[in-house]
Amino acid sequence: MIQVFRPLVALAVVALVAGSCGGTASPSPSPNPSGGASPSSAASATPGEVVEVRWFCCLGGGDATEQVEVEKAVADAFNASHPNIHLTFEAVAYAGARDALSTQIASGNGPDIVGPVGIGGAEAFHGQWLDLQPYIDKTGYDMKQFPESTVALYNVGGEGQVGIPFAVYPSALFYKADLFKEAGLKEPPHAWGGKYTMPDGTLVDWDYATAREIGMRLTVDKNGKDATQEGFDPTNIVQWGFEPQRDDVRQVGAYWKAGQLAGGADGKTVQIPEAWAAAWKWFYAGMWTDHFAMTGPTFQSTDFNPSDYPFFTGNVAMSQNYLWSTYGVGDSGNDWNLAATPSYQGQTTAAFNADTFRILKGTKHPEAAFEVLTYLLGDGSAELLKTYGGMPARPDKQDAFFEALGADFPQKVDWQVAKEGVNYADVPNFESYMPAYNESLDLLITFGTKWQATKGLDLDAEIADLKVQLQAIWDKQ
Amino acid sequence: MTPTDRRAPLSLRSFAVTFAVVVILALFLSPLVRSALTSLKTPAQLGEIGAPLLPSTPRAFSWQGEEYEVYLVPIDGVERELALVEPGRTKSEFIDPANPEAGPIVWQGSWRTLPRAWELAPAWSNYADVWDLIDFPRLLFNTIVIAIIGTIGTILSCTLVAYGFARFRFPGRSLLFTLLIATIFLPEAVTLIPTYTIYVKLGWVGTWLPLLVPTFFANAFDVFLLRQYFLTIPRDLDEAAAIDGAGPIRTLRSVLLPQAWPALIAVSIFHFVYSWNDFFGPLIYLSTKPELQTVAVGLARFNTIHYRNPAYIQAGTIMTLVIPVLLFLVFQRFFVRGIVITGVEK
Amino acid sequence: MTAFPRLRRQRLSPLARREALRGYLFIAPWLIGFGLFVVGPMIATLAFTFTNVNLAQEEPLRFVGLENYGRLLGDTQAWAALGVTIKFGLLAIPVGLIVPLSLALLLNSRHLRGSGLFRILFFMPYVVPFVAGIFIWGQMLNSESGWINELLRVVGISEPPNWLNDPLWVYPSLVILGIWGIGSGIIVNLAGLGGIPTEYYDAARVDGAGFWAQLHHVTLPLLTPVIFYSLVLSIVGVLQYFLVPLVLNNGTGEPGGSTLFYNLYLYKQFFTFQNMSYGATLAWALFALSLLLTVLLFRTSRRWVYYAGDRS
Repeated sequence: MIQVFRPLVALAVVALVAGSCGGTASPSPSPNPSGGASPSSAASATPGEVVEVRWFCCLGGGDATEQVEVEKAVADAFNASHPNIHLTFEAVAYAGARDALSTQIASGNGPDIVGPVGIGGAEAFHGQWLDLQPYIDKTGYDMKQFPESTVALYNVGGEGQVGIPFAVYPSALFYKADLFKEAGLKEPPHAWGGKYTMPDGTLVDWDYATAREIGMRLTVDKNGKDATQEGFDPTNIVQWGFEPQRDDVRQVGAYWKAGQLAGGADGKTVQIPEAWAAAWKWFYAGMWTDHFAMTGPTFQSTDFNPSDYPFFTGNVAMSQNYLWSTYGVGDSGNDWNLAATPSYQGQTTAAFNADTFRILKGTKHPEAAFEVLTYLLGDGSAELLKTYGGMPARPDKQDAFFEALGADFPQKVDWQVAKEGVNYADVPNFESYMPAYNESLDLLITFGTKWQATKGLDLDAEIADLKVQLQAIWDKQ
Repeated sequence: MTPTDRRAPLSLRSFAVTFAVVVILALFLSPLVRSALTSLKTPAQLGEIGAPLLPSTPRAFSWQGEEYEVYLVPIDGVERELALVEPGRTKSEFIDPANPEAGPIVWQGSWRTLPRAWELAPAWSNYADVWDLIDFPRLLFNTIVIAIIGTIGTILSCTLVAYGFARFRFPGRSLLFTLLIATIFLPEAVTLIPTYTIYVKLGWVGTWLPLLVPTFFANAFDVFLLRQYFLTIPRDLDEAAAIDGAGPIRTLRSVLLPQAWPALIAVSIFHFVYSWNDFFGPLIYLSTKPELQTVAVGLARFNTIHYRNPAYIQAGTIMTLVIPVLLFLVFQRFFVRGIVITGVEK
Repeated sequence: MTAFPRLRRQRLSPLARREALRGYLFIAPWLIGFGLFVVGPMIATLAFTFTNVNLAQEEPLRFVGLENYGRLLGDTQAWAALGVTIKFGLLAIPVGLIVPLSLALLLNSRHLRGSGLFRILFFMPYVVPFVAGIFIWGQMLNSESGWINELLRVVGISEPPNWLNDPLWVYPSLVILGIWGIGSGIIVNLAGLGGIPTEYYDAARVDGAGFWAQLHHVTLPLLTPVIFYSLVLSIVGVLQYFLVPLVLNNGTGEPGGSTLFYNLYLYKQFFTFQNMSYGATLAWALFALSLLLTVLLFRTSRRWVYYAGDRS
């Protein structure tokens, strides 16, 4: 029986190891870049031989039909100008992309380039991305053309430089001017860190306390009463005042202050930033006591929220969101504009999203893949950024980007707010690495869902519970 | 039992039974009704709070390049249809669509309490849009071909295997059958990666082969069903045929299969629907070849892109329903006809 | 043939040998397919359970013996997940057996007008792609705007249940969600009812049996093979239940862990957390349990399942 067993184990194991990040079969515990690249990469440098590079899409967007057309065209253009490399583009629907990629990698059939992918999407495959630094150095790629903070984004967690900035999405406060006018309120400040004039004329900080007050005045029930008035009916709300970006509980906190859950000297002690706890409690009260934010069940209902972001319905007065949400913001009407997000303790933070292309460690042709990468980031970037709606990381290209974007909307949008928003990005980014990333994220989603769906919770106890459970997961690592 | 043959005379009982079924059916299908209604709305309609059930748009009045919504405003005891120009908390300004030049009419009160004027506006174009966006014809063709070939393979192989288990005794029969049933219990996600690896090594990834070839090797569900069904058929006719000198294949063809029509139809329908809706298989094996993909993958991809338009999603869902339902329409007559076993002269 | 254990000690007669040979020939398609496409992967995943495979493979690959199994035994979440599965099964399996059967009986009734049309209409939702169906029913069960709660409010219940978010109501919600799947159950039961010779009913009626007596003495006994099939399939369905809670609650197992089904936990370990070895261990544990259940079911089935055409 043993004789049968061993070869079969070996077969199964070889299939896996061949596919997963290179070099693990070797005794060295930490894979090192130059040695880790599989030995066949030397063979790929043979001149005259066409190298196959596979580009896997849609771990984070890019799977819309129009986008696929553009991506294919970019791949074709690359092939035409690079006879020694053949780039094939593969689009898998976002819904199954992660499982498909996992399966491909595990069976030794992994792609070379993955993208466009955000920071969080890439963290799901933490430890499997190629450190690009050797190739940057070898080809002399100019990293200085990007803002320092965006480069630093991709050099955390001790893995090296795993990405080069491509598209950035700063945040801002989207608001509907008509709703403010109807309520007799002044619009929120466009200047970051600015002040706000209350209806009675007093000048106050535009912070979350003010935002709450204004948000409640902008929350109206079907009888026309707002949330600050007697007789307000929370079961029949027709307009909400403030909608945080609730996709991820970490970013709810990041809009108050940049922070990280991974703390301690070894990065394995859970720390709940004080600002994040405050943010969560503010959000919870906003749903269940103050009523300016949609409750979980309301948010889930397609009758109130058909498009994933309630602001698009036109029934929400203020919404924190990223620049990429301009794809649907037009549905809310012609009166929307951008303003600064509220401040906390005198400081403003606007959470940051960024997309780029990455190379898998298991690639058999890292040099060719890097060449493709620089093309995508260079010559191909104009078309790609346009179809993704991504703001170029290169500051000199941003004006043209906003001009093109502004053409989609009849009203004059204050894009300067977005441009300056980059300066208020949360560093460290809320999506950066934490131990047992996938499991931890799963736990955070569980808590987030619970808070949105259940009223009457003691949030301090809930947060303490989260800390304990998260630490338990990290201790197992 | 053929209900049409034995239809009982029209009576209070038949009315009661039919009524009960209608009520149950209505509750059962109500989500589909909602789905159909949603498929005819536009996103703007969906986001309107207080909208009626049927696809409707609030009546609007365009004036000087702006759209204003029309409300039913009581002015001096008369309800008039006016366009809301300047909403306010305690008072609002309206203009008369019939006479906009006359200037704004001020009304005291909360405009939110006013009823709106709705007009029926089903968005039939949604279906046309989805047809184009999802490349329906090609996906439909792919899915039908895969489903039909798979169904043929399933019927062929499962009938043979079920026959073997039902009508023949051989050593290890119950052990093998238990093993067969046990394979139903192994979660697909687990054997997925080694199976995928095998297909990669065979070079079948990117073709329809991983979806089609296994159907010719029988699957536990349908073998189980057919075996159960075969076991209910008395052996008398089998034995008669054997006495007449018929071999096992002949017996299968002329004795068992004619009597097992309902189960065979059931298996065909099950496999067809399963294949029609199979998502994960086509996704991972056909990920590099969108032109070979099926409707299920196309719909899922479509849903993730167009999630901001539930109407499109519902329209897509309803469109993918049509073919299997039509098929069932055709085949269900065989259920009605059924088989009446008249028994054997003893 | 000698590879399989003999159940009887005596040699087979030539006639019996021929029958056995034919038997093996007929089941050959399955045997071959099993050998080619199933055994290999099954053994491979069994091999996984003895190693420390995960996707990132940050530690070198090694043989860990029974470590994964030990982890499984001490994994409270896995045991809780098994409990969730069993609790749900206690509700879902009886419903999954009784409802399709009742509807099939109703649709088969002589007193029904237009039964052909009704059959089509009851079957129709079965064809809806599963994920789409989950989405549609999820909206129906929404505590704010769902039609079920709207109906309840109209009838006078002011605080209708928060179906999907209340641990008390979540299992009934899931059962309601699955109700569209009964289309296949109805077909199977109709096929079974169609196979019952009318003579039995005639004879029963001659003996003075009314509807319930006929049901009890004719229909149900002769339907037992189909009922057995439905029972086995229902149990499979419950043990493999994971797509619904995955889509509905993002796989979080909310509310309060009550939807963290065993197979969902398995899926998460395998794909979301990418712990392939541990996932394979969980799967093999499930498989062993299922095997046990199958054997039990088949052994006890002889007591209550009546096969008209079975010689053994």
